[in-house]
Amino acid sequence: MNKHTMSLAATAVAALVLAGCGTTSERTSDEPQAQNSKQCKGADGKYVIGMSQANVAEPYRQRMDDDIKAAAAEVPQFEVKFADAAQDNAKQVADVENYITQQIDLLIISPNEAKPLTAVVKKAYDQGIPVLVLDRKVEGDAYTGFIGGDNVQIGTEAGKYVAEKVLPNGGNVVEIKGLAGATPQAERNQGFATGIKANPKVKVVATASGDWLREKGQAQMDALLKANPKIDVVYAHNDPMAEGAYLAAKAVGREKEMKFIGIDALPIPSGGIKAVEQGRLTATFTYPTNGKEAIAAAKKLLVDCGTIEKTQTLPTRLIDKTNAAQIYAQENPTG
Amino acid sequence: MTDVQDKPAVAATPVEKAFGGGVVATLFRFQSVFGLLAVFVAAIIFSPRRNGEILFLSADNLANVVRAVSEIGIIAVGMTFVILIGGIDLSVGAVLGLAAVGSAVLMVESDWGFVPSVLLVLAIGLVFGALQGMATAMIGIQSFIVTLAGLQIARGLARIWSDGQGVAIAYGDGPNEAPSSFALLGERTFGGLVPIPVLIFAVVAIAAVVFLRISAFSRHLYAVGGNEKAARLSGVPVVRVKIAVFAICGLLAALAGIVHAVQLNQGSPNDGIGYELDAIAAVVIGGTSLAGGRGSVAGTVAGALLLGVLNNILALNNIDSNIQLLIKGLVIVAAAALQRLRPAS
Repeated sequence: MNKHTMSLAATAVAALVLAGCGTTSERTSDEPQAQNSKQCKGADGKYVIGMSQANVAEPYRQRMDDDIKAAAAEVPQFEVKFADAAQDNAKQVADVENYITQQIDLLIISPNEAKPLTAVVKKAYDQGIPVLVLDRKVEGDAYTGFIGGDNVQIGTEAGKYVAEKVLPNGGNVVEIKGLAGATPQAERNQGFATGIKANPKVKVVATASGDWLREKGQAQMDALLKANPKIDVVYAHNDPMAEGAYLAAKAVGREKEMKFIGIDALPIPSGGIKAVEQGRLTATFTYPTNGKEAIAAAKKLLVDCGTIEKTQTLPTRLIDKTNAAQIYAQENPTG
Repeated sequence: MTDVQDKPAVAATPVEKAFGGGVVATLFRFQSVFGLLAVFVAAIIFSPRRNGEILFLSADNLANVVRAVSEIGIIAVGMTFVILIGGIDLSVGAVLGLAAVGSAVLMVESDWGFVPSVLLVLAIGLVFGALQGMATAMIGIQSFIVTLAGLQIARGLARIWSDGQGVAIAYGDGPNEAPSSFALLGERTFGGLVPIPVLIFAVVAIAAVVFLRISAFSRHLYAVGGNEKAARLSGVPVVRVKIAVFAICGLLAALAGIVHAVQLNQGSPNDGIGYELDAIAAVVIGGTSLAGGRGSVAGTVAGALLLGVLNNILALNNIDSNIQLLIKGLVIVAAAALQRLRPAS
């Protein structure tokens, strides 16, 4: 027995021991989809949905909650509760535990981080609560469905756009990245690198970490501007950082020399679509909140007693000057 | 618990002796215990019910409450010591993060065993705390400043040690796996109900109470907190007391970090952000004076539990998270206000 099989065996034994300790009736995660579970009482039922949000400090996540709220209002059988983990994994575990105690009918979770939330999500799932995971994943497959954007694809689209449309004759790009260690950051970086390969004359001359924050993006750009006399494109991993970079360039009168590209395209007044419409950003790429889609999936499971895809990836969309106003009006009819 | 500043000024009856003063004084002295009882009763009243079962009182839920409290509780016990000598330790959340990262990196990436990893991480917390104690006691920098710097340093070390990434913990005997004995720390025990972190918290709290009761250190602690100059003049080894207190606080923060890592299967450099404030809140609600010299570990435990029950019942009722913040803030102010009303000893 080599070391690898031994460790596998040990893991299996440990898993068995741990499973033996469990107090609740277990449902194995890979059992063929009993995903509509005991919860489906059809159209006559009343359902309580618990939404566990990683934090509401980011506008994207507040928007996700709002989208869920709005979509659920259309389904008379649904009542949705919201919990805010404030970026604390331990708090999010407690939030989900509380939902389990309340015996909710369905859990929607957008995890703060994958690893720490995996066990409690599995616990809910094993107790027969259907679980929809949004935006960020958990490990394993103990959940009913994952709905999210594809950050690698978004990064690739952004890279191709820069390589083919913005800088067909080549040029210098600076990249302002999200928080180190966050998967979207790694994926938006990796995708972009792939995308700009389409044009070998496009070079990423500098990168900096803006931690998703506007003020950090601005401070990092201050330094990048000093260090790089020639910048043609700023690619930021989200719109707030792109806006911060724009402000930094404007402060030294260099904003006209370069184009600013962001990601997320939130249809809110402070979001990326408005920034494109008003000419601060050249383009942004939509990163859907999936709130509407989550409620649609919940309806399918609970009200229609149907099944859903295990993974649902939503496509991104380029927002530039040509379509910004129209898409804003469509996504945010109230203003 | 040992509250030497509260000796009754006049000859006391046996009852008064037992309670350390009159009825009013007793009420104030154990304000956090009564507060906890009140919040507990309120939680039962306001608990959602299902099929006649009071959800708040279900065994699972109560286990969740105490488990969620245990990390903050462990830190808060150490914080009580620091605040008793009139100091403050803002570094505990960051030390927790450093310890969480440390235990994950040592066991998972460096393939260390359970015992050496835990011992090294605890030692790091102890030394980190002791260094902060030295800086404040020997150089005379205010502990607020020292530990504010300590917060940044510990957070920086945690980011460096982990490359800025969360280190996931898998269990097993292979390379890049933590020993299964570590997983047991996060498990439940005693009929599958009482989580081990709660037992650790209980042991820490009881040890602290006993320590304060039986050791001469206790007198020194309250003396330094009451009047440092007078304590020094009467021969209390003030510098040693301060270093020891900060070392204990660092050690307990590291212990909480180990518990944190095992409960979340991950050590992340961002773990424990803001925990110092929760710990301070528990101490303040527990009736310990930020001016030093007055307070008790038992009060802190009650304070931590009060916050835990409050968090739980607000969440069970799905109170909006922003309103939750308001309510918790008001409880802290109320506790501090009661402190001011407390009769002088």
